[in-house]
Amino acid sequence: MLTGDAVRWGAAVDRAYDCDAYTVDRSAPAAVVLPSTEQEVQAVVRWCVASRVPFTPRGAGTGLSGGAMPALGGVVISTKRLNRILEVDLPNQRLHAEAGVTNSALSKAVAHAGLHFAPDPSSQTVSTLGGNIAENSGGPHTLKYGVTAPHILTVRVVSPNGEMQEFGRRVVGGPGPAWERLVVGSEGLLGVVVSAWVHLTPVPKAVQTVLVALPTIRAASDAVASVIASGIVPAALEMMDRNILMALKVAFGLEFPADTAALLLLECDGEPKQVEEDFARMLAILKGFAPLELRVASDEAERKSLWTARKKGIGAMGRLAPTIVTHDGVIPPSTLPDMLEFVYAVAAREGIGVANLFHAGDGNLHPCFYFDDRDPKQVESVVRAGEEIMRKCLELGGSLTGEHGIGVEKVGLMHAMFGPEDMALQRRVKELFNPDTLCNPCKLIPDQKGCVEHMVRWRGVAT
Amino acid sequence: MSQHSLTDLTSHCIRCGFCLEDCPTFKITGEEHESPRGRIYLVRSAEEGKLDWDEARPHLDRCLGCRACETACPSGVEYGAILELARERLGAKPATKMLLSGLTDSRKARLQFQLGAMMPGKRMPALLSKWVSGETPEANIPRVGTVREWPTVDESALPPIRGEVALLMGCVMQVLYPDVHEATRRLLRRVGYRVHDVLGGCCGALHAHSGMTKEAGDRLTDLKQQLPPGMPLIVNSAGCGSTLKESDLKEQTLDASEFLLANGLVEVIRSGREQRVRLTYHDACHLAHGQGVRSQPRELLRAIPGIEFVELEEADTCCGSAGIYNIQQPLLARRLLERKWEFVQQSGAQIVATGNPGCHAWIAQRAEEAGQQVQVLHTLQAIEMACSGMLA
Repeated sequence: MLTGDAVRWGAAVDRAYDCDAYTVDRSAPAAVVLPSTEQEVQAVVRWCVASRVPFTPRGAGTGLSGGAMPALGGVVISTKRLNRILEVDLPNQRLHAEAGVTNSALSKAVAHAGLHFAPDPSSQTVSTLGGNIAENSGGPHTLKYGVTAPHILTVRVVSPNGEMQEFGRRVVGGPGPAWERLVVGSEGLLGVVVSAWVHLTPVPKAVQTVLVALPTIRAASDAVASVIASGIVPAALEMMDRNILMALKVAFGLEFPADTAALLLLECDGEPKQVEEDFARMLAILKGFAPLELRVASDEAERKSLWTARKKGIGAMGRLAPTIVTHDGVIPPSTLPDMLEFVYAVAAREGIGVANLFHAGDGNLHPCFYFDDRDPKQVESVVRAGEEIMRKCLELGGSLTGEHGIGVEKVGLMHAMFGPEDMALQRRVKELFNPDTLCNPCKLIPDQKGCVEHMVRWRGVAT
Repeated sequence: MSQHSLTDLTSHCIRCGFCLEDCPTFKITGEEHESPRGRIYLVRSAEEGKLDWDEARPHLDRCLGCRACETACPSGVEYGAILELARERLGAKPATKMLLSGLTDSRKARLQFQLGAMMPGKRMPALLSKWVSGETPEANIPRVGTVREWPTVDESALPPIRGEVALLMGCVMQVLYPDVHEATRRLLRRVGYRVHDVLGGCCGALHAHSGMTKEAGDRLTDLKQQLPPGMPLIVNSAGCGSTLKESDLKEQTLDASEFLLANGLVEVIRSGREQRVRLTYHDACHLAHGQGVRSQPRELLRAIPGIEFVELEEADTCCGSAGIYNIQQPLLARRLLERKWEFVQQSGAQIVATGNPGCHAWIAQRAEEAGQQVQVLHTLQAIEMACSGMLA
């Protein structure tokens, strides 16, 4: 079925694959396979189904909700060797790539033609197309360009029973519902994505970026609300709080005025004239909030350095503590100041450090707890604080996730967001595709048999 | 070398995975346990008693030690230090000790390489290679180097002497590439520096990378005694430079390209004759990732009149040589070399310049296998050849 170096097992391999970038829960696989073709993926899935062995797809393992963790053991199917760009169709602005190609590699392949793949998660230099599809990943530019879903034309999947299936169409239009959207964001429950046709977006002709330092969280949140209310659609509108600044200072030597409580990173892009107009208006609005500093990127190099700060900000948190858990919830943007106060209060009560860096423009929060996972008490505090924050998001009319997915992290909270009828329908859809529940068990849809007792075990392993 | 414990060092990794695509062994295998994040996790697990050190060993053995992950890491994880401490914990294999004792003693190395030239296939005997690596050999035994016939420099055109610098002769370097040393001396003289050769031998870099930290320390101590006090120490081998810059000699150690650029070599190069040739540059890992020296060699090379400088795709990805890696892991090293070679061919360059003896010999071997259409030179050789009007 697969040749020697495509099947790996043993104590070190099991350890290496027992979690992704969400480290609170861990569970080791029995083996890892690295197929190089979709036929090999199909063969592995068929073998798993015939042998009643659970299997879990995995891209780069940068997920933040445990989506690639083999919850019930079994086989991890890595897509990292499905790494070819199969066809580039420049006139029609689309390309066909395998699941293991990184997000950045897609854009790089068409950069010469002035195109790019618009979804831009912070992990984009490493995270894969398959992973982006599974999690319906977003990024800073989601505010204007949308999350992964609108950029996906078709998805080719090995179904949980081992069939090859293709969802969607390569052109705009019907017939029927946009079936590919069922797969996008399904967190690997409905099959293993092996390739996809993606839509490419022209690289904007002009870009203007500004970094603003503000004295209070309240001022920053109000500035965000004013920009959005003005009718300008920024390409990105990001917010970072004081604790992120600490990490950025150590990591990249970035200095900000001493009284900075929050930073905003705003960007306008598009046609030069429009960008100039919008940007001038935006700066005028921002100046009304008495900024401590207003740093406009004068060239591409400076723009890149401002973005490095944002994109590597979470990664830089390792400078403050050994472990981080980055939460992901969505709230209506107008509730931002109250929500942030709540986050700080919960963290203070639990005695855990928290830093916030997030997509303020669309209300997608990322409270990032930093702590030491070798102390079981701290792990408990973080899990408890996370749940509380998620419940608050729901209370404010928001959602459990903006882009990191539910995974194993928040599966227990799904009931808080969906009523029993909704949950029952979601479960039926899952069972239709994945009747044996062997494909990526225990994720996203709660109450799968056998998962509750395992949950205790995962949490135990972490500490 | 870091003073911190393995537990402290590994705890800075928060598993974001931003290092993955910068790791050569992850790029070609796609396997988590062959990535920096995976290896750090294995080391941490072993240190915490959750994994046998022996289980972690093969994956640490397969690490090139190129430290590209350090460049990529937003959390500032000191991977190089983790690797050296973990390898110290594991203990060097007898084969590694044998290899290093031969290589880092100039007399022994010279003898071995001379014998090697008489060997059929010019490679290590297959049986010996099997013992060292479990695989058949890929790296040719290098040839003992000679100094080319450089044209005499017109003394009257040279600036007056303004100072003296020490030049590290090294162990392997002085046996394989005495010509690079000669080129370095000539370039230093062109900017007004007289050169004091430091013959002390080995700086211990190869030992440190293999986790033989005590041996590495001893060699460094010996070397220090050879140094004339207060003189800048100029190094033209990336691996040595990187180790010296992490020792208490860090204040005085400089890569030759850094020193020459800072001392006005660009003007000298610009005044030379036109050299119509297409050239590309391969970043030695211990220059780019170990020392952060990237722009200096490029600025010097770009200053050559008439040169067509093209950037190499994945220029700062390891070529697989990595000290003694191509002897210890022949197959992976060969795959990395082939990847490097593909990009060299794509660049269309006639000359590849680089700043480390390991990369130099390994890429030159591939050029030779391809029939010598591409010439591999040390950066300083290329520059001195340009200054002497003999590059194109």
